[in-house]
Amino acid sequence: MKDLLVVKDLKTWFPIKSGIFQRTIGYVKAVDGVSFTVREGETVGLVGESGSGKTTVARSILRLVEPTAGDVIFDGINVTKASKRQLHDLRKKMQIIFQDPYASLDPRQTVNSMLMEAMKIHGVVSNRAEARKRALEILNRVGLSEEHMYRFPHEFSGGQRQRIALARVLLLKPKFIILDEPTSFLDVSVQASVLNLLKELQKEFNITYLFISHNLAVVHHMSDRVAVMYLGKIVEFADKNQIYNSPMHPYTFHLMDAIPLPDPEIRKEHALLPGEVPSPVNVPSGCRFHPRCPYATEKCKREEPELLDRGSDHWVACHFEINFKKVRT
Amino acid sequence: MTKNENPPLLEIRNLKVNFHTYRGEVKALNGVYLKIYPREVLALVGESGCGKSVTALTIIGLLPDNAYVLSGEIIYKGRDLLKLSKEEMRLLRASELATVFQDPMTYLNPVLKISTQLEEVFMLHEDSLKEAVVTEKVEGKDVGYAEFLAMKGNPKALLFENHRVSRGEVKRMARKLCVDVLRLVKLPDPERILQQYPFELSGGMRQRVMIAMALARRPSLFIADEITTALDVTIQAQILHLMRELSEKINMSTLMITHDLSVAAEVADRIAVMYGGNVVEVAPTIEIFKNPLHPYTTLLMEAIPNILKPVDTLKSIPGTVPEMINPPPGCRFHPRCPYSMDKCKKEKPELVETSSGHEVACHLYGV
Repeated sequence: MKDLLVVKDLKTWFPIKSGIFQRTIGYVKAVDGVSFTVREGETVGLVGESGSGKTTVARSILRLVEPTAGDVIFDGINVTKASKRQLHDLRKKMQIIFQDPYASLDPRQTVNSMLMEAMKIHGVVSNRAEARKRALEILNRVGLSEEHMYRFPHEFSGGQRQRIALARVLLLKPKFIILDEPTSFLDVSVQASVLNLLKELQKEFNITYLFISHNLAVVHHMSDRVAVMYLGKIVEFADKNQIYNSPMHPYTFHLMDAIPLPDPEIRKEHALLPGEVPSPVNVPSGCRFHPRCPYATEKCKREEPELLDRGSDHWVACHFEINFKKVRT
Repeated sequence: MTKNENPPLLEIRNLKVNFHTYRGEVKALNGVYLKIYPREVLALVGESGCGKSVTALTIIGLLPDNAYVLSGEIIYKGRDLLKLSKEEMRLLRASELATVFQDPMTYLNPVLKISTQLEEVFMLHEDSLKEAVVTEKVEGKDVGYAEFLAMKGNPKALLFENHRVSRGEVKRMARKLCVDVLRLVKLPDPERILQQYPFELSGGMRQRVMIAMALARRPSLFIADEITTALDVTIQAQILHLMRELSEKINMSTLMITHDLSVAAEVADRIAVMYGGNVVEVAPTIEIFKNPLHPYTTLLMEAIPNILKPVDTLKSIPGTVPEMINPPPGCRFHPRCPYSMDKCKKEKPELVETSSGHEVACHLYGV
């Protein structure tokens, strides 16, 4: 499979301004050198704790925030250097679904007008009749019907709103969708149907997903490969079974071990990770995980490890090869 | 703990609570039955709007003004909490019924140091503090939180007369216990944290401070309402581990409210599943996961992605959480239930015990 999206050394820093002259006194290094690829048709999961920079990566890829440095190459086109016009065309192919369906839909627009607007902006169809037909088709596909066309967002439940957001995106026939915590606002019983729908649509329309979530069980369910972020960097990137069952980075190991499991019989002692995620303003020297890492040495305090392939497409950013016990067999 | 011979510490019987709203009466609780036994961790699991938090708020007597209790009783240590006066409830909340909520920042005072807020709680037990001071002076024993737990604050009246206890000594004792209780919740460097303000602490640390404040009240019932929901996975694991440790160390019962079955599986001795304002199933944790009886429980378990048993397609529950202004008649789950019968539309099923300690409210298992 070919790479649809290549992210190379992406950095997005937000300046911290202070004083009457608004001088820049430092940077929040939200994303600080992230590289990964997404292959056509697959789902890459992006996990990490709050503040690790997952959402900023997503927004930088689409240039909803301007990246500070690095390249994002989508289907052979460099997004970071694209002109306004190119970007307009690109956005038709790369779309995003946001976390909060209560905020992402305009409360004063009906479903019909939202869908029509999307098609108009991107010139997907040539006339009204066709537009209407297509809108209905897609709406049916996401599990809504004609009667929902002329309603306003407040008349829908969270799950239905997320379906509307999805319909709006699908109208443009995107190749690539970023799903930024698409189900974290939904109840568990509703979440399942939305996740199932996402999987079906992927097969049907051959869409590539970047799936962002802090819910590790959901990411496991959805993804083919998983990247783990810590404080603005990817620390490990591999096939999902590798990541979940035999991780190689100490952070991944502790993260996977901390997942609460819906099985009281294997209730176990977790290998608890001490401390909390440091602030991205004062990033620790060397390996940024070293203050919390039980295996840290002097070298870790000085040198930042690179993300290297340890064979069979398993990328790890750690100075050492630690043999963890298997998280699960 | 599977079978409990002890009488329950708290028993809720047929609790019905409504809310007045502009849109109509919200029938939030529709006859809840629940027992909490001494020293157990009971998890109350359900989706948003199922009535978990309303149940907790009713227990501690902090329902909002637009809510009213239609019927039912909450028996706690032989007294009906619903019949107590506001002042009596306030005193209970200050001592025996301690609650920690989801968002610690909203419950901590942002302009007061942690020390001020935590000492204040200890000062509610001034008599016990005096006793602690006297014990230290007379018996030369070091009093920590563990010893403080046992103090009643009255029997050593004689000692009080012989040993005047100054306000300063009481304060110092409170300060000492603050450090001790912060250490108990595994906060590093407690002396420094006492001098800090809430905004200087991270979410996980604030939640530990809240737990410490709850422990300072010497609770018999610790209510934890979604305390790990706002936290990251690694921090959540720390807090859950702490909760389990505390329930083993301290003689108290815990009511753990969560929407996450996995969290419940990690800490609870028993699990109660709520749906649409009713407790629909109660059983020991292992039993409920092995042998879930209520269709909702079964479906809920299959709807959650499970790392241990990956599947291609998740089972989804059709429909949505019921609207509580006009809830479905009979069993409130019937419109979404694959086994729904005529009876389900008319009659509300009662909780019946199917096997030892396993209760379910479903007509499929009726007598």
